[in-house]
Amino acid sequence: MSNEFIALAVPAILLFSAIFTLLFGFSVHYTKSRGYFITLGTLFITFLISANGIGETFTLPVLPHIFNSMVVYDAFSATFISLFLLGGFLTLAIAKSFVDNTCFFTHESFVLLLFSLFGMVILTMANELLTAFIALEIASMSVYILVGLNRNSLRASEAFFKYLLLGSFAASFYLLGMVLIYASVKSTNLAVIAHYILSTNLKAQLLVIAGSMLIMITIMFKIAAVPFGAWVLDVYEGASFPITAYMAGVFKIAIFAFILRIFLQNFIAYESLYDPLIIGGAMVTLIAGSLLAVTQNSVKKMLAASSVVHSGYLLIAFASIGEATYSATSAIIFYLFAYFLSAIGAFGVLSYISKGSDKQINYDDLNGLAKSRPIIAASFTIFILSLAGFPSTIGFIAKFYIFTSAIEAGYAILAFFGALAACVSIYYYFKVIGHLYFKESGPVESLSGEKFSLIFIVITAIVVLWGGVGTSLLYDLPGINALNDLSRYAIGSLSL
Amino acid sequence: MSTLTILLFAPLLSAFLIFLITVLYSQTKQYVYTFLALMGSGLSALLALYVSYYSYFEKQVLVTHLFTWLNIGDFLIEVTLKADALSSFMLLFVAPVSFLIHVYATGYMNNDKSYGRFFAYFNLFVFFMLLLVLADNPIVMFIGWEGVGLVSYALIGFYYEDVKNTYAGNKAFIVNRVGDFGFLSALMLLFLSIPLGGFSFDNIFLGLWLIDSHRLTLIAFLLFVGAMGKSAQIPLFVWLPDAMAGPTPVSALIHAATMVTAGVYMVARFAPLYNMTPDILLLIAYVGAFSALFAAIIATRQYDIKKILAYSTMSQLGFMFMALGVGAYSTALFHMFTHAFFKALLFMAAGAIIVAYHHKQDIRELRGIRASGLFILMLIATLTITAIPPFSAFFSKDAIMSALYAGHIEIFAIAFVTSLLTAFYMFRMLFVLFFSKSEQRGQPTRKSMLYPMTPLTVLCIFAGLLNVPEIFSGNLSVSHWLHLADQSFFVPHTQEMLLMSLNTFFTLAVIVYTYKKYAYTDAIEFEKSDGMIANKFYIDALYTKTVVTVLEKLSYFFDKKISQLLIDGTINSMALVYLKVGNLFARAENGNVRFYALYMLIGLVSGFVYLYWSLRSFL
Repeated sequence: MSNEFIALAVPAILLFSAIFTLLFGFSVHYTKSRGYFITLGTLFITFLISANGIGETFTLPVLPHIFNSMVVYDAFSATFISLFLLGGFLTLAIAKSFVDNTCFFTHESFVLLLFSLFGMVILTMANELLTAFIALEIASMSVYILVGLNRNSLRASEAFFKYLLLGSFAASFYLLGMVLIYASVKSTNLAVIAHYILSTNLKAQLLVIAGSMLIMITIMFKIAAVPFGAWVLDVYEGASFPITAYMAGVFKIAIFAFILRIFLQNFIAYESLYDPLIIGGAMVTLIAGSLLAVTQNSVKKMLAASSVVHSGYLLIAFASIGEATYSATSAIIFYLFAYFLSAIGAFGVLSYISKGSDKQINYDDLNGLAKSRPIIAASFTIFILSLAGFPSTIGFIAKFYIFTSAIEAGYAILAFFGALAACVSIYYYFKVIGHLYFKESGPVESLSGEKFSLIFIVITAIVVLWGGVGTSLLYDLPGINALNDLSRYAIGSLSL
Repeated sequence: MSTLTILLFAPLLSAFLIFLITVLYSQTKQYVYTFLALMGSGLSALLALYVSYYSYFEKQVLVTHLFTWLNIGDFLIEVTLKADALSSFMLLFVAPVSFLIHVYATGYMNNDKSYGRFFAYFNLFVFFMLLLVLADNPIVMFIGWEGVGLVSYALIGFYYEDVKNTYAGNKAFIVNRVGDFGFLSALMLLFLSIPLGGFSFDNIFLGLWLIDSHRLTLIAFLLFVGAMGKSAQIPLFVWLPDAMAGPTPVSALIHAATMVTAGVYMVARFAPLYNMTPDILLLIAYVGAFSALFAAIIATRQYDIKKILAYSTMSQLGFMFMALGVGAYSTALFHMFTHAFFKALLFMAAGAIIVAYHHKQDIRELRGIRASGLFILMLIATLTITAIPPFSAFFSKDAIMSALYAGHIEIFAIAFVTSLLTAFYMFRMLFVLFFSKSEQRGQPTRKSMLYPMTPLTVLCIFAGLLNVPEIFSGNLSVSHWLHLADQSFFVPHTQEMLLMSLNTFFTLAVIVYTYKKYAYTDAIEFEKSDGMIANKFYIDALYTKTVVTVLEKLSYFFDKKISQLLIDGTINSMALVYLKVGNLFARAENGNVRFYALYMLIGLVSGFVYLYWSLRSFL
């Protein structure tokens, strides 16, 4: 398959499938499980196609005579697209029991999911600020609606409105920033901006700096970095479990794809200027996230708050990009992968336990689960361990890379800080394990869940473990090394 | 799949299958376990015979590379199995004796409610022992080393319902940890000292000359500390007698024929290293000598059948260490070889007696048992251990004696006394058991327990032929095969002949004396069961006083003062403060969108203030 074909096929299939599902939903032949499997199949096929393109370094403007290098397909975008398509696939696969048990998961939900993924694909491939903005909004809009999917739930509606309001507020910064950049550079193309930055003096770039700052703020909003991420608790709490997992794990990947691209290609020149800001942001995010997570009673809110902490870890690596470009970037990619696996797994387990109901799951609701559902409890434990960064899980390796990159960049203190936050995280994560295994439960209702979801939960748990120990130990299964190589190929394809 | 892979993994596979079946189907018929257990150990026994045949006649080294464990920069650890002469020699007795004891155990453990669990452990043990023997580098060897320790722990405390057994298991495990600490430290030092390019034994021995002699001495000493633990030498021997709490097949397999020999094997494996540290070699010889003497003295005042055998094991291991200490590595190994047979046979016979006589173990209660078959087996094994010609141990022990005589006459003297004591305590046990006016009859011994003793008896008698010394116009074929870095000794043939005759003469004299004293008399009843010897020289009490109590007090101090007050207190108050701050902070998350937007603006403004401040010179 030629790369050009892949570049076009992935968004095209997603879009086509979305429109098809939208129309098919009105037909009498539509059933929920058909819609589900069409979507799942689409995601799987697009993932396979896109995964075909990773593992080598290449750059390819997509149909330059039509799009005028507004979108570019390179190893970098291929890697990220494969990552979040896999993420979307796993989220949906684990959500099977949730989809079956709820009535508000209609065909529009699948359509919205596909649209948001389409937006992310374009966002990852965007080589131009305006295209990126449109793609970002396509993805965000779909996610807004997905958050408010359950119209009968007051909490979901509230979350939807809050997210929409604040999201639009944040998006306005992006537009303003883009305008400022355009005012100086007279273009929104990333390559032109990069050229401008290299060829002029600092005085002529003040507007570009201000504009890039505004764009960064929007991004920080999206990844829920403190102080821009105050929405995260309310929204994650209001959204249903699969959507929360999707936002925490999958959406973040696309955002980071974009931020890495513009940062590495354009704003790396301002790296020394931005570093104190990013470091400050990382520290504040780590502290505030940990503080929030410690005080939560609901497991879902705890996971939401801890996702803020994970953004903090990612920011640590982000701050190290200037001095240790390669290791920091691959650390970010690896961390995103590790985090989305563990988070999707953890949220998936919660959604599996809740059986589609809207009820809050408190720590006490997990009591005695190890006795009644040992497999679920074991998988949950694995995800939690991975989130906490325990050795022999993928989360440990991911944190290890983040901290090494920080040390390599000379920010040992930041690595120390991250380790401290990881230490605190033991408290709220292990509380879950404590409740799972060491607390007796009252009368246990029999939990009969969907086999399909269970299988994918277990598979994800195995992958999480494999990612933590898998070297070349067992033949040719890709392990840590393979992922590391992949991210190196990806970075190599950016014109640095 | 290479031969070595199958040889190694067959017991692991069967252990795993047995484990699965035990967990999943509680109502499994016993023969399923029997079949799996015997398949696993039997297959590896057969292959072990093949491998040693191959090594002995073809002089070839089998190597199987399994996988690369770690490859980070210059740091490379391969997991490779290697059957050189030494490993093949170990295989030659480890695997077949294990198999025989498996067969024996099917009889001994018959109708036990934890039959499956027992054989899962047993097969797992064989796997770890084979891994220890076949490892091509000390790290993999250490895995096997720890593995046998772990399984040994599980098997000693096999009947965990009785808390005494659990304590015995704990004791074995903890004392062994002290030894492991030595082994592990030695490995780390070696790892630091050996230049890069792999950590296999060959590489280590090539790089030895680079290490300065003090460090090398330290490494050799620490390695020997490891060997002390596993092979129950002074001062780390206290666990072995207590380990007899496990079922008798366990004692036969682990505490006689295989695991306790790991220390001897390890020292022999590091022979090139030890040859460069003569001081440590001498230390080994002395530790071996005193352990042998000490154990033999204690054994003369023991009444529990299995404890007598346990002390005799320790004593025989002492002989092996003496031989190692004077640099007669292959001699030590050959004694280990014969020891595996006669000690396994002794334990099996003892186990058969124990089963037949209602689980009585005290020889005073077992006086006058009538079991002619078992008597013959026991007599042959006892004659072998006392090194009466022409039984196999005569050849192995005599080789040790002449090596000692050639180099260190004082150690020779200790060894000589010890071997006389050996004859005394072994025949004391034999005469008290079988030669008495009173009479007891027990149940007949099961066939599955009797059959595996037969080949061992044959081996007890004839195994010595493998390494006949020159004096009997033999050619020391085992020593030539092993081809270790032996130091050479020269003892004139006349002297050696004299030595042998004296040895045998005195031993026979002791036997006659013992017969006079114990056969058909009640001498055993008049022995005082207190005093220095019967209380094992108060060594256990000494350890309790000096080590255990001090440690207990120390840990009490750390627990109450340091841990609870200082550390827990600090952490708890920190956590409390953290929680308070968290609650305070959670107020900021008040659910009002206008506040959230405000936070964003604050962030934005502070960002721009920072930008303005750092770029103000350009404005």
